[in-house]
Amino acid sequence: MKKAHSIKLISLAAIVLLFAACSKSFVDIDPQGVFAADTYYKDQQQAFTGLVATYDIMRKNSGGFENMITFMNAGSDDNYAGGGGESDGVGIQSFSNHTVNAETMPGSYWGDHYQGIFRANTLLQKLPNTQMDENLKARFVGEAKALRAIYYFNLVRMFKNIPLILEPVETSDIYNIKQTSSDSIYNQIEKDLTEAIPALPATVPLPTEGGRITKVAAEAMLGKVYIYDNKPQLAVPLLADVNGSTPGQPNAYGNSLLTNFKDLWVFTNKFNSESILEVTHSNQVFLGDWSLWGSSSDESNTVDQMVGPRSYTRLSPDAPDIYPAGWSFNVFTQDFYDAIKNDPRFSATVFDAKALEDAGLITYVYGYQNTGYFLNKFIPMPSDKATVGSAELNFQGDSYVIRLADTYLLEAEALGASGPRAQALLDAVRARVGLPSVPVSMNAIKNERRFELAGEGHRFFDLVRWGDAATKLANRGFTAGKSEILPIPASELKGTLLVQNPGYE
Amino acid sequence: MSKNDCKLCGLILLLLLTSLGSFAQQIVTGMVRGANDSLPVVAATVTVKGTNIATVSDIKGNFTITVPSGKHLLVVSSVGFTDVEVDPSSGNLNVLLSESTTSLNDVVVVGYGTQKKSVVTGAISSVKAKDLENVPSSGRIEQALQGRVSGVTIAQNAGQPGSNATIRVRGITTFDDAGNNPLWVIDGIVVDAGGIGYINQSDIESIEVLKDATSAAIYGTRAASGVILVTTKKGRAGKISFSYNGLYGTSAPAKKLDLLNATEYATLMNERSVAGGGDIVYSDPASLGNGTDWQAQIFNDDARRSDNEFSISGGGDKSTFYLSFGLLNQQGIVSTDISQYDRKNIRLNSTHKINKFFTFGETVGYAHAKSIGLGNTNSEYGGPLSSAINLDPITPLIETDSAVLKQAPYLNNAVILAPNGYPYGISTIVGQEMSNPKAYEQTRLGNYNWSDDFVGNAYLEIKPTQNITIRSSIGGKLAYWGSQGFTPVYYLSPTINVTQNNLSRNSNKVFYWNIENTIQYSKIIDDHNFSILLGQGAYVDNIGGSSTVTVFNLPVNNYQDASFNFPSTQANRTDGVSDFTEHKISSLFGRVNYNYKEKYLFTGIIRRDGSTRFGSNNKFGNFPSASVGWVASREDFWPTNKVVNTFKLRGGYGKVGNDGGIPDFSYTPLVVGGYNYTIGNGGTILTGYAPKTLANPDLHWEETTQADVGFDAQVLTNFTLTVDVYNKKTSGILRPVPIPLYVGVSDQPAANIADMENRGLEIELGYHKRIGQVDLGINGNVSFLKNEVTYVNSDADFIDGGAGFQSMGTVTRIQVGQSFNSFYGYKTMGIFQTQADVNAYVNKDGGLIQPNAKPGDFRWADLNGDGTISEDDKTFLGSNIPKETFGLTVTAAYKGFDVMIFGQGAAGNKIFQGLRRLDIANANYQTKALDRWAGPGTSNDFPRLTSSDDNGNFQKMSDFYLESGDYLRLKLLQLGYTFNNNFLSRIGCTKLRLYVTGENLVTLTNYTGYDPEIGGGVFGIDKGYYPQARSFLVGAQIQF
Repeated sequence: MKKAHSIKLISLAAIVLLFAACSKSFVDIDPQGVFAADTYYKDQQQAFTGLVATYDIMRKNSGGFENMITFMNAGSDDNYAGGGGESDGVGIQSFSNHTVNAETMPGSYWGDHYQGIFRANTLLQKLPNTQMDENLKARFVGEAKALRAIYYFNLVRMFKNIPLILEPVETSDIYNIKQTSSDSIYNQIEKDLTEAIPALPATVPLPTEGGRITKVAAEAMLGKVYIYDNKPQLAVPLLADVNGSTPGQPNAYGNSLLTNFKDLWVFTNKFNSESILEVTHSNQVFLGDWSLWGSSSDESNTVDQMVGPRSYTRLSPDAPDIYPAGWSFNVFTQDFYDAIKNDPRFSATVFDAKALEDAGLITYVYGYQNTGYFLNKFIPMPSDKATVGSAELNFQGDSYVIRLADTYLLEAEALGASGPRAQALLDAVRARVGLPSVPVSMNAIKNERRFELAGEGHRFFDLVRWGDAATKLANRGFTAGKSEILPIPASELKGTLLVQNPGYE
Repeated sequence: MSKNDCKLCGLILLLLLTSLGSFAQQIVTGMVRGANDSLPVVAATVTVKGTNIATVSDIKGNFTITVPSGKHLLVVSSVGFTDVEVDPSSGNLNVLLSESTTSLNDVVVVGYGTQKKSVVTGAISSVKAKDLENVPSSGRIEQALQGRVSGVTIAQNAGQPGSNATIRVRGITTFDDAGNNPLWVIDGIVVDAGGIGYINQSDIESIEVLKDATSAAIYGTRAASGVILVTTKKGRAGKISFSYNGLYGTSAPAKKLDLLNATEYATLMNERSVAGGGDIVYSDPASLGNGTDWQAQIFNDDARRSDNEFSISGGGDKSTFYLSFGLLNQQGIVSTDISQYDRKNIRLNSTHKINKFFTFGETVGYAHAKSIGLGNTNSEYGGPLSSAINLDPITPLIETDSAVLKQAPYLNNAVILAPNGYPYGISTIVGQEMSNPKAYEQTRLGNYNWSDDFVGNAYLEIKPTQNITIRSSIGGKLAYWGSQGFTPVYYLSPTINVTQNNLSRNSNKVFYWNIENTIQYSKIIDDHNFSILLGQGAYVDNIGGSSTVTVFNLPVNNYQDASFNFPSTQANRTDGVSDFTEHKISSLFGRVNYNYKEKYLFTGIIRRDGSTRFGSNNKFGNFPSASVGWVASREDFWPTNKVVNTFKLRGGYGKVGNDGGIPDFSYTPLVVGGYNYTIGNGGTILTGYAPKTLANPDLHWEETTQADVGFDAQVLTNFTLTVDVYNKKTSGILRPVPIPLYVGVSDQPAANIADMENRGLEIELGYHKRIGQVDLGINGNVSFLKNEVTYVNSDADFIDGGAGFQSMGTVTRIQVGQSFNSFYGYKTMGIFQTQADVNAYVNKDGGLIQPNAKPGDFRWADLNGDGTISEDDKTFLGSNIPKETFGLTVTAAYKGFDVMIFGQGAAGNKIFQGLRRLDIANANYQTKALDRWAGPGTSNDFPRLTSSDDNGNFQKMSDFYLESGDYLRLKLLQLGYTFNNNFLSRIGCTKLRLYVTGENLVTLTNYTGYDPEIGGGVFGIDKGYYPQARSFLVGAQIQF
């Protein structure tokens, strides 16, 4: 009896030990639904997913609450931040009155662009070992470099003093990174775009590849970069190729100004002939999950949602039928209204809720800094509202990064605002909206850019580039020598070697 | 329950009953009486020691029991009396029970076994069935624990029926909210905290809270935040008994906020507008009268609640069983139509003795719960509470003015109609997420959450000799839960409306299982008592997945008719499916208990755990502990006196671990999908893949070491006193770590990043005495706690806290030297009464410190003395963690009557009172805004109202928003009557008690929100917490 029990005990102990011996494998499990990083990017298909991830950050232009367009508009003299109240978006509000500081600066304008750079760097590091068609690989490399350049261009214009990172950062190096001069950033941007241009296709099939970077898009961006880098002579030939030999006529790639200015803002007009590079959006996300808003899996256009009037209610069928539940951001200033009032682009640019309300045709809830003048370029029509899912998260209108009217005016500027070519470029932009020719001058180009590109996020950068910011934004709290660039977000200064921008220390 | 289920249960019952056989050796009879009063003791348990053979005394105290042949002792026990052992050989027994004055003879459940309380060396608090049986059930057992044990802080997560509570054992152990939940072990099954709702309160035999590392170390992993052991009732051999516990009652809000009425609102809005440079908004505020009291529309003063719990138990000398059912229904006090909880559950526990060596048993529980929730609680983004607080009082509840109804926004076909046929009022003053709560209720009807939980375990116990116990158990939990909801086409406001209806269903399934094998060897050699336990365990959880489908544009527009059976096209359907990530732990553990004459005590424990959350180099962690005790009162030199009757000193030190708080696979580099972009003009979304974050192969176990010293004493015969002091240190806290954004990864990498310490003192004092015919009991406990972050592995010495508030962003900070997530913001120094005050607030250069301030604005403290107000002037403003918590229970019984008073409270914490939406300019105010600054001398703490708050009076995080969270609450007041035996015997009853109870009758607090008791991982930020109800209940307890 005793013996039998001992045997039982021993065998039980053996089972216990056996289990323990196996326990190492018992607590090893493989991740599901993801890939090991060291073996990924092995073929063309995987490399392409890496390229898509690099494009993802293009959404920053118009996707999510913290998008480039509404933010940059808010800091210009043409728009206020607006919104629901004085604290509706501390970042955008504090940039609008130029009290932004390291704490209120939304980190995403810095971090999201660096995410794009990280993904480009990762792809560029991995592509040499990818098994795929070499021509296609060259195009992928070109696109990754062009995207990296575009992200750095936004960063250097916003923050000026930034780190130049061209490879994925090793864990051990995280806190050893320093800023570099803006000259070397511009050099890298120009190098990347220059190398990208020959590898990129002249055109792409729009149904399947619309939105991917073409040769002409990279040229246009490089031309613009040269102007910001004060190298207009280098910009001229690039922009001339983009704009074509005869302003107003199609270029070699089929691009031309749209006949009707307002058609630029019809959401179905994706990849129109005037579009050189645009950010794509989709209504097919169906997101009802606000926690994903503005993230990598949010593909909607949030500018559309942000700029409409609040609780817009039509009292008469004669009132315009617009999407009624906007958030009243980026209302135009009275000064801008007075300036553009008689321009043919007025009605496409400004939604004059004040006039409609005065006429008794509508009511709406006044937002913060309400002027009654809304940014009509982005106000969606009810037809753009998603048929399923959350309307706020499913606007599909694309946004322009650069369009032909912009490059026309940039080339005219690069030409020193003089000469017949500059005159012809300016005239073409004006003629499209039925305006007569005016003598070309820097002042004429500045005015034209203001009206033509109003509310598209360019004005603040233009003012800074022209040296006009301090005067034009004097009544908005702008401090010369400081407010030209934004503060580096506080999170980036914690424990790093980064130095805060002047005036924000 | 369906008819078939009933049949099945009946069958199981029948099987159990037929298996109960017995063959008698000796029939023993006796009588049990109280030693003091010689009155019969009813329902005393008489057990043949070392067997399952037992019976209970009848109403005259008589019992009859069959004792097997051989030498046996009988153990006679009854609640409130000290156990007595008698030799049955004398035949007819006369047993006298003395009332117990001490709990030191109690047995407590420890991990993998039980121990006499007198030889326990760890800090364990115990709550027995008798402590709980009079507490009205709310369906959540953690609520029954609140205020009853020291060192355990319990706060309701919401007044929403069915909500769980937040439990913290000895403070916050780690940074991750879920990681701070104690480990729940129910009948040996490790269950997640969210899933303990399946137990009837009256099924509980005991609850033990293992507070120190020494007690908890046997559970190694996940035991860092304490362990709560729940033991459910088992059947006892003897006659079959039936018991019923039921209650029924009504609940109402204990407090409403004082909000502005329409006239006051219009007056203040005019003032606000003019101060900001605008015009008068309302020309005649007085004409608006009181307006709409939105709170009155959402609160229900008669929310019903009922709970019915039945159990049948009994058995013979081979098998015993305990079978119970519960039916709970509770209505919420806020928008009752969309705030309800309903639960049905069943449990079967049984044990079977196969022969002398083998025993097996099982516990099986099933619960079905259905809960209807408001949609938003503690959220500023809409929902009835948030809307009622923020909506203007001018908008009518129901719009009947025909002129108004001819205009927008009432022209929309989908406006919600009140029962009288007129539309519910739509505010054109306060927009955004706020909407008429009565209309909102209508849009959420038919939305509910459901869950089905199956929990069970089975064990086999082998006792090859008297000294050895081998036990194998297998446990599992299978949980299904999900939600279903229909959203009709509706129009609540121009902002909140839906033009396509949808029907949505979310389903989740998860399976947990574990196996544990233990072998225990006990031996007594002379005065040396040894017990050695060796064990092995394997735990697997989170096997399962989730799926959601939503169908749009159904051909019907009400939830009653909505069905997934309507055909739908792919374009009208969205879905999402995901797998959960399995998590496994493998363990080996051992324990040695030793005592000499029950005088010198020692316990040593070691556990080794491996987890799937760590890489190969750090997969395993070792968690040892040791503790000693000295029962000084057993020493010969201990004077026999009536001052200190018994005294036990104990101390221990040990280490436990935690692998939570980080994503799975943080140790290895991964490329994940979801970095998407749209390419092509069809709007097609392509999936992008990229590295998610930086891998950290050096991740290792988070460790919590704890030193505990305490004593248990019985003083002056009637007092029991337990005191513990402890120091608990958590090091290597696991958390995603913020790294510079320029690295460019979308997710933060995981790391062991910080250390934290909790120091505390706990006192439990009990008093029990029979004075004449009054039986008086008092139990009080108080706990003091100090939490401090001691190290942060970052080049800056702080981490941004996890708690944000609206547009202010983060309002807490985790910093060395401060308690976890302390409030961080500006300090106010009164209000500028005049421009002269503004001009006098100058820096050392004579410049104005607040050049833009106006009279009526806050004077901010320039804490860094640089002459300007900037981020650097922010400081720590207090903590949301109470420094003291306390509870007091007083019971008294006189003849058949009994009364219970139970109060609990907390002190020393701050609450962020954030009920008003900052970014809605026209949101309503509480009446304290009437005392705003409105001219020199009017207020020094509530600033002026202005639409252009340039000074940031309301926008800046400051002490203005923080209020003391101190409270003392009369939680329960109960009066009961137990009918006398003569009456009962006529109706064949062994017990009948009726009672009336009031819950949450009085709360003493200065807090201006609804309720100072705020649980959950919200760091004391009140954005409109669903308040707890005040309830009046009647109940009955019956036993046959």
